[in-house]
Amino acid sequence: MNKAIVRTFMALAVLFAALMVNVVYIQVIRAGALRDKPQNRARILQEARVERGRILAFDGSVIAGSRKRDGYWQRTYPQGRFAPQTVGYSSLRYGQSGIEASMDDYLTGQAVDLGLRSWLDRLLDRDPEGADVRLTLVPAVQKAARQALGSQTGAIVALDPVTGAVMAVASTPDYDPAQLVDRFAQLSKRESAPLLDRALQGLYPPGSSFKVLTAGAALQTGVATPETVFEDTGTYRVSGGKVTNYGDEVFGVNTLTEALTYSINTTFGKLGNELRRQRLIAYMERFGFWDRPPLELPQSMVRISGRFDDDALLPPGAPMDPLAVAWAAVGQEQVLATPLQMALVAAAVANGGRIMQPYLVDRVITAQGGEVRVTKPVVWKEALDARHAVQLNEMMQQVVDVGTGTAAALSGIDVAGKTGTAERGDANQAWFIGFASAEAPRVAVAVTIEDTPGTGGAVAAPLAAAVMRAALDEDALP
Amino acid sequence: MRPRDRELLLLLLAAVLAVVSYVAVYSGVFREISRWSLVYAGIFVVIFALLHLLMRFRLAEADPYLLPVAALLTAIGLAEIYRISPSLALLQGRWLVAGAVVFVLTVLLIRDPVKLDRYRYIIGALGLLLLAVTIVFGTEINGAKLWIRFAGFGFQPAEFAKICIVIFLAGYLNDKKELLSVPTGRLFGMPVPRVRYFGPLLVMWALSILLLILLRDFGASLLLLTIFIALIYMATSRLVYALVGMTLFGIGAFLAYELVPHVQDRFAIWLDPWATADTTGYQLLQSLFTMADGGVLGQGLGRGYLLFPDGRPVVPDLQTDFIFSAVANELGMLGAIGMILCYLLFCWRGFHIAIWAPDGFSKLLAAGLSAAFALQTFIIIGGVTRLIPLTGITLPFVSYGGSSLLANLMLLALLLMVSHRSNVVLRGTAAERFRLAEGG
Repeated sequence: MNKAIVRTFMALAVLFAALMVNVVYIQVIRAGALRDKPQNRARILQEARVERGRILAFDGSVIAGSRKRDGYWQRTYPQGRFAPQTVGYSSLRYGQSGIEASMDDYLTGQAVDLGLRSWLDRLLDRDPEGADVRLTLVPAVQKAARQALGSQTGAIVALDPVTGAVMAVASTPDYDPAQLVDRFAQLSKRESAPLLDRALQGLYPPGSSFKVLTAGAALQTGVATPETVFEDTGTYRVSGGKVTNYGDEVFGVNTLTEALTYSINTTFGKLGNELRRQRLIAYMERFGFWDRPPLELPQSMVRISGRFDDDALLPPGAPMDPLAVAWAAVGQEQVLATPLQMALVAAAVANGGRIMQPYLVDRVITAQGGEVRVTKPVVWKEALDARHAVQLNEMMQQVVDVGTGTAAALSGIDVAGKTGTAERGDANQAWFIGFASAEAPRVAVAVTIEDTPGTGGAVAAPLAAAVMRAALDEDALP
Repeated sequence: MRPRDRELLLLLLAAVLAVVSYVAVYSGVFREISRWSLVYAGIFVVIFALLHLLMRFRLAEADPYLLPVAALLTAIGLAEIYRISPSLALLQGRWLVAGAVVFVLTVLLIRDPVKLDRYRYIIGALGLLLLAVTIVFGTEINGAKLWIRFAGFGFQPAEFAKICIVIFLAGYLNDKKELLSVPTGRLFGMPVPRVRYFGPLLVMWALSILLLILLRDFGASLLLLTIFIALIYMATSRLVYALVGMTLFGIGAFLAYELVPHVQDRFAIWLDPWATADTTGYQLLQSLFTMADGGVLGQGLGRGYLLFPDGRPVVPDLQTDFIFSAVANELGMLGAIGMILCYLLFCWRGFHIAIWAPDGFSKLLAAGLSAAFALQTFIIIGGVTRLIPLTGITLPFVSYGGSSLLANLMLLALLLMVSHRSNVVLRGTAAERFRLAEGG
C-alpha cells in the first residue's frame, strides 16, 4: 500500500511542478509581451494614477487635457470633435488607440529620454509627471476640413509639402471623444464606422486623381512629354476589353496636358501600356505605394496603399494583363489608396518631386518646460526629378484653370490639382488632390467623399479650396 | 526538539509574516500605518496560539509542520482579502474564528479518527445528502449551482461533502481492498480483477457525471472522480484501476463537453481567451495580465493595481477563485512559487502521515484527505494560470469563503489526529496507548 501512496504523491508532485513551471512562464518569460497587450486593464489602471500629459495643437491650444476625479485622472476635450480618431483614446475598459497609444510613454512620463527627473520619480516610487505632446495639426485648417465635410461620409488630409507636417486629418462620420466610453459598444458596431480613421485607414479606388502619378511616370521615363499628341475615339481596345471615358465622351486629338486637364481615360490607358506593368508599379512604389507612411501612430492605424485582392495587399510583382495595366493607369482596377497616400502624391509634385516624411508630432514638452523629441523634416521618397515635377505642376494648374477642377480655384492664387471620380457600383468615390500656391506651395490636400452621385470636380474640389484657403490664411504653419 | 516546540517556532515565524503582511497592506492601501492593521494581526495570532495550546494538550505527538503551513496560507489569504475589500476581510476574520471552533470541536468530539470507520455509511450518506441539498436548494452563480442560501449566509456544502466522501471511501476501500485487488484475469498481460469489482468505480463515475449535469459544476465532479481514482489505486496498488478510471474520466469529460454548454464555454475560453477578450475570456486574460504585472518580485503587498476606481476588482472573483492571481501580482513569481511550495509541503506531510500510519483506514484517510487537498489546489491554480480549463473552486485556506475555510480546518484537524494517533501507537508511552485503546 505504501508504494502506491508514494507513487500517488509523486504524481501530485509532478502536477505541482507543472504549476510552478507555468508560473515562471507567465511571470517571467511571457511577462513583457502580456504587459504590453492593449487588453491589459491593470497597466492602463496604473497609468490612470498619473496625470497624463496634454495633447496640444500646433498653436498650443489643448486638444486633450486632464482633470482629476476620485483620485484618478480623466481626459477632457476643450475643442470637441478635433480629429478624434487620430488623437485616439486611452480608456480603462477599451484600451488605447491613436496618439494616446503611440505616445503613451511620453504622456505618462515613462519615456527614457524625458530626463533625470523622470528617473528620480521612478527611483523614489513617485508617480511620474506626464509630458505634453504638441501635434502639427493646425486648428484653423483642421476645423475648416471638418466643417467642409459636414454630414457627408469622407476624409480630408492636408499637409505641408515642404516639411511633411500634417496640418489636418478629418474623417467623417466622427464622434464626441468625451462620450466615447459611454457609447463605445454602440459606436464600434455602427455600420458607418465612426471609429475608423478614413483619412489614414480608408482604402478607396483613387480614380482619375491617380493620373497625376501615371503622368509623372510617363514624363520622367520619356514615354511622353506634355505636348505628346494622342487620339481619342472614346474607346481604347486592349486584350479583349476596353477603356472608355467618363460619361462616354469623345475628345478627338489631344496632348498629354489636355488629357490630364479633361481627364481622358483612353489616353492614360494607352500611356499605361506604353509604360508597361513593371514601370507603372515601380513609379507607384516611388510615390509611396507598398510602404507604410511612417506617421507616429500604431501600425494598424495607417494602412499601406497598393493593389488589392479583396482585403489582401497584392505584392508589387503580381501579374497583370494589358487591360489591367490600362485600367490601373487611370486609378481603377485593383488599385486602392488612402487619402493620406493621395495627399502625398500631390505633395510630391508640389515639392519638386520629393516626398517629405509625413509627421503628426511636432515636439514633446516635459512638465518642467523642456523640449525633447523635436521632429526635423526628412525626405521619405524621391518620386520625380525637379524638371519633370515642374512640368507636371504646370499641367495640374491647367486642370484648375480650365479643366475638371475649376471649383478648386482660389482668387488671386494659382492652384494645381486633379479631380477623380471612381465608379463604385451605382455611386461614385469623388476625389480632389492638389496644392497651393502652385509657385510656392504651402499646403497639399486630398479630399475624398464616399458614395456620392457627384463627380470629384463638383463634390470634392470646393472642399479642397476651403481647406487650402484656411491654410494659406494662417501665418504660423508647421 | 519535540514536535510541539518545533511547531511553536514555525508558528512564530508565520505570525511575524502575518504581522508584516497586514502592516504592508495597510500602508500600501492607506499610505499610513495604524493600530488597526496590528489589531487584525493580533486576532490572527491569538487564534493560532489557542489552536497550538489545544495541540499541546490533545495532540502532542502530531506532525509539527501542518499547522504552521496552514497558518501561513491563512495569513496571506487574509492580507490579500483585506487588500481587495476590508469589509470582506472582517467577515473572513469571523469565519476564521468559526473555523477554529470547528477545529476544536473536531478534535474534542471525534477523539480517535479510527472510530470514524465504524460510521462510514452514515458519513457517506451525509456526504450524498449534502450534495443532494445543493442540487435541490442550490442557487446558480457563474453558471454553476454550488451555493445554498441559508439565513443570509452563502454555504457551499460540496466542500464538506468532499471530506465525508473521503472518509467513506477510505473505510469502504480498506474493507474491500483484498477483494478488489485479487487478479482473476489478464488483459494485455496485466493482471486484472473481475469485471464486477469495477462496480464501485462505475458508481463513483456515474455519480460525478450526474453531479456535473445537475450542478453544472465541472470542478466538484472532477475533484470527486480524481480523489476516487487516487484512493482506489492506493487501496489496491492496482494500476489498472487508475487506467480504467482515467479512461472513464476521458469519456466523462467528452460527455460533459457534448451535453453541458457551460463546459463547452469553459473549454473554448481555455483554448483561445483572446477571441473573446471583452466577454467570456475577459476574466482569464485579466488574470494572466495581473500575474504578468507582478513580475519576479511583485508589486508589493497593497501596491498592485488590482481594483478599478469604484472598488471593483479588475479580475472578477479576485477574492475567491482568482486570489492566486492577486498573490502572484503583489508577491511576484517568488511569492507564487513559495505559495505552491507551501501547498506541496502540506501535501507531503499529509502523505508522510499516511505512510507511517499503522492501519489501512488511517493510511487511506490521511492519503485521501491530502490528495483531495492537493488536487483541489492544482485544479484552481491550474485554472487561473490557464494550464487547464478553469473550473470554479476555492484555493484552500487562502480564498475568501466560510465553507472552504471551515472545511479545510476540519481536514487539517483530521490529518493531525491521524498523525498523533500513529505516533502514539508507534512510539508513545504505554499509558497513552492504553488511553487510545480505551477510546479517549
